[in-house]
Amino acid sequence: MSTSAPDTEIAIHRAGAQRMGFFTDTSVCIGCKACEVACKQWNDLPADGSQTGKGVSYDHTGDLSASTWRHVRFVELFEPSPQLREEAQRALDAGAGGRLPAIPAAGGVDLVDVAQSGAGGVDVADAVRKMGEWVFMSDVCRHCTNAGCLDACPTGALIRTEHQTVVLQPDVCNGCGYCVPACPFGVVGRDPDDGRAGKCTLCYDRLEDGLEPACAKSCPTDSIQFGPHDELVEIASRRVAKLHERGIEGAYLYGAGDEPEDELAGGLGSFFLLTEPPERYGLPAHADSPVQENVVPATVAAVAAGLLASAGTVVAFAVAARRGRRTRGGRTW
Amino acid sequence: MSAEDRDIEPALGARGGPASWRAAEPGAPVALARPGFGDAQWSYLYKARDTDYAGAEPAPGLVAEANRRMRGTPVPEVNGPLIHAPVWSGMVATYFWFGGMASGSAFVSLACDAAGDHRSAAIARKVALGAVAPAPVLLIADLGRPERFLNMMRIFKPRSPMNTGAWCLVAFSGSAAVAVGCDLIGRPKAARAVGALTSLFGSYLGSYTGVLLACTAVPLWSGSRTILGPAFVATATATGAAATRLVLVASGLPDGHPTRRALGTIETASMLTELSISAIGERRLGHAASALDRGRPGVYFRAAKTLVALGISLRLIARRTGPREHELASAMYLVAGLLFRFAWVSGGKPSAEDDEVVAAMARYRRGPHDGPRRPWQARALSVDRSRWPVPSAMQRAYGEAVRRTSLAVGRLVRRRPEA
Repeated sequence: MSTSAPDTEIAIHRAGAQRMGFFTDTSVCIGCKACEVACKQWNDLPADGSQTGKGVSYDHTGDLSASTWRHVRFVELFEPSPQLREEAQRALDAGAGGRLPAIPAAGGVDLVDVAQSGAGGVDVADAVRKMGEWVFMSDVCRHCTNAGCLDACPTGALIRTEHQTVVLQPDVCNGCGYCVPACPFGVVGRDPDDGRAGKCTLCYDRLEDGLEPACAKSCPTDSIQFGPHDELVEIASRRVAKLHERGIEGAYLYGAGDEPEDELAGGLGSFFLLTEPPERYGLPAHADSPVQENVVPATVAAVAAGLLASAGTVVAFAVAARRGRRTRGGRTW
Repeated sequence: MSAEDRDIEPALGARGGPASWRAAEPGAPVALARPGFGDAQWSYLYKARDTDYAGAEPAPGLVAEANRRMRGTPVPEVNGPLIHAPVWSGMVATYFWFGGMASGSAFVSLACDAAGDHRSAAIARKVALGAVAPAPVLLIADLGRPERFLNMMRIFKPRSPMNTGAWCLVAFSGSAAVAVGCDLIGRPKAARAVGALTSLFGSYLGSYTGVLLACTAVPLWSGSRTILGPAFVATATATGAAATRLVLVASGLPDGHPTRRALGTIETASMLTELSISAIGERRLGHAASALDRGRPGVYFRAAKTLVALGISLRLIARRTGPREHELASAMYLVAGLLFRFAWVSGGKPSAEDDEVVAAMARYRRGPHDGPRRPWQARALSVDRSRWPVPSAMQRAYGEAVRRTSLAVGRLVRRRPEA
């Protein structure tokens, strides 16, 4: 179920090019932030300044921005989801034969061993208690099929490349800032010093030379996988099936493998395997390009109101002129 | 080791210069590249026999089902931020105010001409030009790279409201200037015709700002997508009429002149319209409208409403007193218009930062998978878009048409043939 951007939107044409993307499998992410560092180094991005002491997390990066194009979100789970709780309860009820529900439940034990041996020798109750701990998600630009930033950009600085990725041309961007709120995922930012917007290019320069992007190259567990989009969707679907087989039933894909009516922004070029409800990772459960969603009804309402207002003004004058002729010198205005 | 001994030549480019380089042989492969991005497949995951990382065949529909289930569970705690807050400053709100005033004055000039008051129409055209004059300055000053403002004009992109707005601003300013020019060189008929054209551009200039805000992920704005345009037009008409009225009074339009009376009526009527549209919008937004109630945007919004209420009461009192109160009311409407713009624009930031609202709007906006709703979620859902769906085929067709238009225009205006 691979998705594709319309041909008319692709700005660069090259024979044999296909949709490339990322598959970020959070179930094998260890939160090392190598991708963040590699991205900063390859793309020569400045530091974001000291952001320690956020008070809510060990994650000091905080957010994607104009100068942070990969960000490993640390999600401290203060409260297990009802779904997880239910699964855990089932595991508890089943006693030693019960299977652990999801990655965060592991609390440092060998997951594969646990899942394959049916939780043998592991204190399930303890694991459930530790469930509210930690998951990681290496966040990145989604390279959406319906890209809000691309729709909003008034200068054409944002383009769709032959790899169907969305790339911002820094030599064209004039820093209008429209792409920032137009992104439904909070990816694009405007740099306060530089004045221009910035976001992940899926290492367009490396792709041109036939190299995989820096973050994927540096990922020690291959949690970030890069490749042709349809192949990645295939791998990811098999991975979900595998995790379900192991009893991790909360595993799902965010941005791929959906029915058409459920697709996120028409399908994401870089998608994720998650084990928690999306809001836990700071992701919206549904999203589409705000421009494509709203521009028609908003414009119809706005232009109709504009024409109505100018017509109304004319009518008000006509009425006043007629009344003025009848009651000249009446009230003072 | 001294500094001279160290090799401090950069890997790329020359010292102090940009780190750019050119391949010695065009098209030659770089050292680590493998055909077909083969370097990406370095890990054990790609040695299918050694691992069962992805070793299961998914049953048909399994992935879609899992996605739907997990994206449809009741909302857990929300770990923000979900979206980025807009970065626009007060200059954008001020621009919206001036642009609105200009388009309102253009409407007035059209109406004056239609009613036969050509002297007032000429003054209204000057007011329109004067009001639109600061607009580009404000817009450019708010850019991150002001020196590149002309990049807005390098393409025609109908699907970007900011691009169409920039073109509309150019068209409006040009036509307003030509209209005033015709007045000055004594061509009243031409001035009237161009003035009518100006007011046509004005009907988009005064309203596209609402479209621009609506086409974002900010709940407050996108949730009021059919509200913003009409509300902004109403303020635009009120401020345009008020500005023109004050200028006309200063230029000696006598008391009791029908134009003065008509302008007063228009001001009050459009401010009342704006108030009722805002009230409807707030009701429909439910919880998401709290961004307009709290903090600084709340202060702006309440101050604006108070000023409008005061203005209307002044108008009622002034039926028996004198013209001064009417002038004061016009000035109040002008300020109220500015405050409305500030409230709507600055409300975007707290709205985007309210993670709970952003998450709830995203989740409950459509789909049969909605879980049970808490009371405030049900209220946020009164912006139920599924009630007015734009069929996805229509959306796609629209997008395709728009892109083809831009491409065609691009081909027409392309200066150099493609290499």
